[in-house]
Amino acid sequence: MRLNRRPLLTALTVVLALTLTAPAPRPEAAPAGTVTYAVHITIAPAWFDPADNPGQITPFLIQYALHDAMIKPMPQGMTTPSLAESWSASKDGRVYEFVLRKNVVFHNGDPMTAEDVKFSFERYRGAAAKLLKEKVEAVTIVDPHRVRFHLKQPWPDFMGFYGSPATGAGWIVPKKYVEKVGEDGFKKAPIGAGPFKFVGMTPGVEIVLEAHEKYWRKTPKVKRIVMKSVPEGSTRLAMVKRGEAQIAYKTDGPLGEEVKKDPNLQLVYSGGIATWWLQFGEMNDPKSPWHNPKVRLAASYALDRKALSEAETLGASPPTGSIIPREFEWALPVDPLPYDPKKAKQLLAEAGYPNGFDAGTITPIPPYNSFAEAVGGYLGAVGIKVKLQKMERAVMFDKRRKRELAGICLCANGGFGNAVTRIDADIVSTGVHSILKDAEIDKLFEDQSRETDPKKRQALLKQIQQLVVDRAYFAPIYQLQWPNAVSKTMKVSGMGLIPTFYYTGPFEDIELR
Amino acid sequence: MTRFIAKRCLYALVSLFILSVTIFVLIRVTGDPVTLLAAPDAKEADLQAIRVQLGLDRTWPVQYLHFIVGALQGDFGTSLYYRVPAGTLYLQRLPASLQLAAAAMAVSLLIGISIGILAAVNVGRWWDSAGKLIALLGLSMPSFWLGLLLINFFAVYLGWLPTSGRGTAAHMAMPAIALSGYFTAAHMRLTRSSMLDVLGSEYVKLARLKGLPESWVLVKHAFKNALIPVVTFAGINLVLMINVAVVVETVFAWPGIGRLLFEGIEFRDFPVVQTVVLLGGVMVIVANLLVDILYAWIDPRIRL
Repeated sequence: MRLNRRPLLTALTVVLALTLTAPAPRPEAAPAGTVTYAVHITIAPAWFDPADNPGQITPFLIQYALHDAMIKPMPQGMTTPSLAESWSASKDGRVYEFVLRKNVVFHNGDPMTAEDVKFSFERYRGAAAKLLKEKVEAVTIVDPHRVRFHLKQPWPDFMGFYGSPATGAGWIVPKKYVEKVGEDGFKKAPIGAGPFKFVGMTPGVEIVLEAHEKYWRKTPKVKRIVMKSVPEGSTRLAMVKRGEAQIAYKTDGPLGEEVKKDPNLQLVYSGGIATWWLQFGEMNDPKSPWHNPKVRLAASYALDRKALSEAETLGASPPTGSIIPREFEWALPVDPLPYDPKKAKQLLAEAGYPNGFDAGTITPIPPYNSFAEAVGGYLGAVGIKVKLQKMERAVMFDKRRKRELAGICLCANGGFGNAVTRIDADIVSTGVHSILKDAEIDKLFEDQSRETDPKKRQALLKQIQQLVVDRAYFAPIYQLQWPNAVSKTMKVSGMGLIPTFYYTGPFEDIELR
Repeated sequence: MTRFIAKRCLYALVSLFILSVTIFVLIRVTGDPVTLLAAPDAKEADLQAIRVQLGLDRTWPVQYLHFIVGALQGDFGTSLYYRVPAGTLYLQRLPASLQLAAAAMAVSLLIGISIGILAAVNVGRWWDSAGKLIALLGLSMPSFWLGLLLINFFAVYLGWLPTSGRGTAAHMAMPAIALSGYFTAAHMRLTRSSMLDVLGSEYVKLARLKGLPESWVLVKHAFKNALIPVVTFAGINLVLMINVAVVVETVFAWPGIGRLLFEGIEFRDFPVVQTVVLLGGVMVIVANLLVDILYAWIDPRIRL
């Protein structure tokens, strides 16, 4: 009997071909290539340690690479579980339990456990450390991958502080290593659980990082990251043009225009949470035109927010109708008012200023002088005359805190947190920067701080934000974000992936072409 | 002579004291660093806590005393921004500044002296006019502008040199030229006038009368003597170059003390600003003191 071998052969060939071409579960590609950043500020060793986080966003520029947090903003959302796999709050709101991810190792190979979480919290001494330690009674370890935070009283804002970049308390450092090398040793050779490990630093020049291949989320695609400090924008741009760097942070104004013209570069927007607005210094004085909400509304209608964003940040900054970033928890999303100079003039006429008035000065947060000049131009066009007042950064901050700023303030808040922290700082009458005196808002804020039902609390917070809009206390402008110059050799730059973050993140996702 | 030196040293100490008080007060009246270090919406209590932690809650005289006693022992306080000792930061950055200043000095002497001599020898002719033009450019072009022009031409357009940073000799070329601009012009003008002085002197005339070849007269008789004021001037300039490269170091991301000062001022980092300015002052004052003493030693009339 002769077998017809052809079908058999064909079948074999097909099977063989399928085996060869099928997406077999291959090990992940090894990280490759170097990405160099031209960073606009000088990297300080203080930023290597999340325990010292000052409550500003800048240190995260490096911490998103070196370290990891229990919960952090990621492209998926503001509170994405990272080192914590999940968490839950007890019914009485006094105990928070976190389940830790099991396959996490620090750069030195030590596994991350509940010990490290407890240690990192207790060691934390940065922004709001005092507050956290007042509220938290104890941290207990249930098992190596389960940790409980016991609060003295219910504190609905616990996660807002612990689970966000408002503090560094939830960013985990290796207990054993820190205890071994000491505080100074840790700053010289930091070890974390982030996607990139520290290789070395040349003070004032650069820091070098290398892929942490055992990073839990994925093996980073890039082998090496070099961050060079280059304070001058034109120099940063020259670096990407010449291929010395692949990413130059903050190339706004004329620099951004140049990026657009260069065929080898792309202009990539960052994310960001610094909202900008106009605040009217004499608002509470019945004799001032600003006392009338119609006048304040007129100022708001007078602004062409899109054009301002275009001129200042090449369109990177989305216009907004609220001083609270819409990504924040409990934020009331408010669309910006349209640009309507006619309506502005009409409102001014209704308020008794058909020919406008002299509003004194406009003072921007330094160094945003050109921004203030442009805003002044729009106000002038409807008859509100203002003169630019330039101030030194530290002086302006001081005057603002003491509420000694006369005239219009082109103000901003770039602090991390949620709607509550922003209302607390800028809206209630006791706020550090607030010039509002609204008893109704103060009362509602008082009420929400005692409210344990999240739904009711949310309603109260939204009511406050609606009142702020209705009473036109501010003229919100936009949520500042930056254009950055990115070489086309980058496939994924990591810029703008996290809507609330100004820098690259997540680092494990960046990729060269 | 001893009395003269003692008097000069006393003047130097008084100058340093005045400088230290001035910088201490000036940096403080221009603002509170704590608002720049804390979260944008930090509460007053948080700010106060930082002030206490940094020792900024004490009265100015107490802070000053603390600063000066520390400085005399080599402890300049801890940087508010970097959280490392300001003295350590200064020493980390100083070599870069010394290197840059040395390179810029070499450039400025090479160009300045050679064109200065050519201009003096050819008074009123082409070389002289060219020298005047270069000097005018060097004196009037801001160094950041010159720096950016250099970067765009040599690094971006031609691709010959790295844009910025410190590493190889190639990294140093552009910052050295940018920093030397002003000094090249100054050295050039001084060389020219000093050379003209010497060329008009009796001994040069005598040398020529003896029938020596012109090149011999220039090199052997005129040049050496014309150089004395230039070298003295360059010595003082070197100290300046080390300390005033703020703009050039910022444009070229050069990690020297100029950039450290720039950042220190931006963040109101009191210890850093005090350290850089005070030690810069020490350098200038010591250099002047040495020159004074040297001159007095060479020329006894000065001691009178």
